[in-house]
Amino acid sequence: MTTTIVLQQAINGVVLGSLYVLVALGLTLIYGVLVQINFAHADFVTLGAFGAYFFMHLIGGGYILSIAVAFAVGAALGWGINAAIFTPLRHKGNELLPLIATIGVSVMMQNLMLAWFGPIPYAFETPYSSQVIRFAGIFVTWQNIIIIAVSTLTIVLLYAFMKFTYLGKALRAVSQDRETAGLMGINPNQLIMLTFVIASALAGMGGAMLAPVLVLTPFAGTSVIVKAFAIVIIGGFGNVEGTILAGLIVGLIESFTTQFLDPGLIDIVVFALLLLMLAIKPTGLISERREENV
Amino acid sequence: MSDPALAQHLLGQRALLRSRWLGYALAIATIAILPLVFNDTYWRTNLTVCAINVLLAIGLDFILGYAGQLNLGHSAFYGLGAYVSTLLIVKLGIPFWVAFIAGVAFAGIAGIFLSLFAVRLRGHYLAIASLGFAVIVHQILLNWISLTQGPLGIYGIAPPPALVIGGVVIADFRNLTAFFYLVAGFAFLSYVLLSQLVRSPIGETLTALREDEVSAASLGINGTAWKVFAFGVGSAIAGAAGCFYASFVGTLVPDAFFISEAFNILAMVIVGGMGTLIGPVFGAILLTVLPEVLRSFGDLRLVVYGAALTFVVLFMPGGLVQAARVVGEKLGLRRSP
Repeated sequence: MTTTIVLQQAINGVVLGSLYVLVALGLTLIYGVLVQINFAHADFVTLGAFGAYFFMHLIGGGYILSIAVAFAVGAALGWGINAAIFTPLRHKGNELLPLIATIGVSVMMQNLMLAWFGPIPYAFETPYSSQVIRFAGIFVTWQNIIIIAVSTLTIVLLYAFMKFTYLGKALRAVSQDRETAGLMGINPNQLIMLTFVIASALAGMGGAMLAPVLVLTPFAGTSVIVKAFAIVIIGGFGNVEGTILAGLIVGLIESFTTQFLDPGLIDIVVFALLLLMLAIKPTGLISERREENV
Repeated sequence: MSDPALAQHLLGQRALLRSRWLGYALAIATIAILPLVFNDTYWRTNLTVCAINVLLAIGLDFILGYAGQLNLGHSAFYGLGAYVSTLLIVKLGIPFWVAFIAGVAFAGIAGIFLSLFAVRLRGHYLAIASLGFAVIVHQILLNWISLTQGPLGIYGIAPPPALVIGGVVIADFRNLTAFFYLVAGFAFLSYVLLSQLVRSPIGETLTALREDEVSAASLGINGTAWKVFAFGVGSAIAGAAGCFYASFVGTLVPDAFFISEAFNILAMVIVGGMGTLIGPVFGAILLTVLPEVLRSFGDLRLVVYGAALTFVVLFMPGGLVQAARVVGEKLGLRRSP
């Protein structure tokens, strides 16, 4: 009996965790290239979810296709925010201002959504959530299988892109040393834009898959993003492998806290872990040597 | 420095000092007159909310603008001040002002706890750590139901007891005007205290730390102690704001201290002008009054916070203070430096 529960919660945790990984990877990628935190990332998640919702309910599209729509919504938003906010601010050379600007953009987008969509949660239902496969006392929905398949595929593709393509290598080069990469004939501005678009598209896509488990309101993204920040720090800022590992750990913590403790304690456990991590090992689970200029 | 230049400098200093005292006198006069001008309940309520927000903004500005520590968890200290003082009053029957001091002290100690992270972490890490701290505090308030009654909230919190001297009631805080004078007076005193503090060598030390920590350290400045100090003072002021808030509104729910509240306080500081004390005062007033004026726009009015924050950062990073300076120069009131 207990083994089934543990196994069941492990599956739930991995499903949830892989969605957190999608969201957190975007933050890590942006941090790697720009050394910036993007608070508006939360709203890419929310708007991705709303994009998928309206695609299904207004146009009558299918759920799988709506994930692609959310991907596109996220990409478009990322492009817009980078062009409008990050690019002009980057030239001012201040660390604090872009961060505060993204908080401003986030608050603005949330309240615009509040004005348009209202505060009442939307019921996001997918046909796959009710199709259950039973196996040795464990329940797996088709929705879970879709989430695992899509996020694994995305992460593998992203990894291959970073590892084997010219653009991916250039991207890593920029995140290691922007100036030297520029000297090697890489245009950092284009790559920063590319990073932003990829990161935001991942967030949008994550939103479409998180929507059925979230309470879909204009503020839905906030609850995800604070966890994503925790994941990014626990995994080590800018570290892709660390982020994946930390995302899965947080997903597991969430499912096991829900089962054995109290769902209300999830954030407390996650953030206590975060503060502990910051106090003991701020460089994250998998630390990377990063030199700091004084 | 040649003698005439020195004389000029001293004269300038004296003029500055005189204008500061003039400014204080003007502020007292304004506080005294405001409730007489706005004589309906609605605006008098807003006046007190303004005063509470001014407290929050100047407290955060001391941490953010002077000590340069990006604190995204100011709502936590606000909430701790509110809940600690209220719980002491409601559960243990402790007198208001004793509970007030306890609330302020608790918030200050929480600030010092968070500053221990600030000492080790920089910039983005501190931003996330403080955000995480605020999330934890909010979740504790929400989930420790036996103590805080969680989302149901605490109701019927009494206002501070009337001020009675020799059997004569000086101020009854059930009266909105008296309450406004209480909070605004406290905000004014905090402002004067902070402005003396930032003009003293302590302020210069903090500025040196903010601008360049390594150089400051090479001059023998103990960065750790000053960061702890700034966090303690700033969060204690937020705690005081929380105590006033609870006894003013009469109800406490955890969602009043969600992280979005920290972002709103941040907007007040930035819009007013981070790193000046007068800026956040006006930023707090503007961002409290503007959504009220725009009430006919429904939920769309809340966009003001985000829009103001974004546009100020993009086009006028110095906030209202910078705007006033530009306008002053245009009108020829102030010579450009």
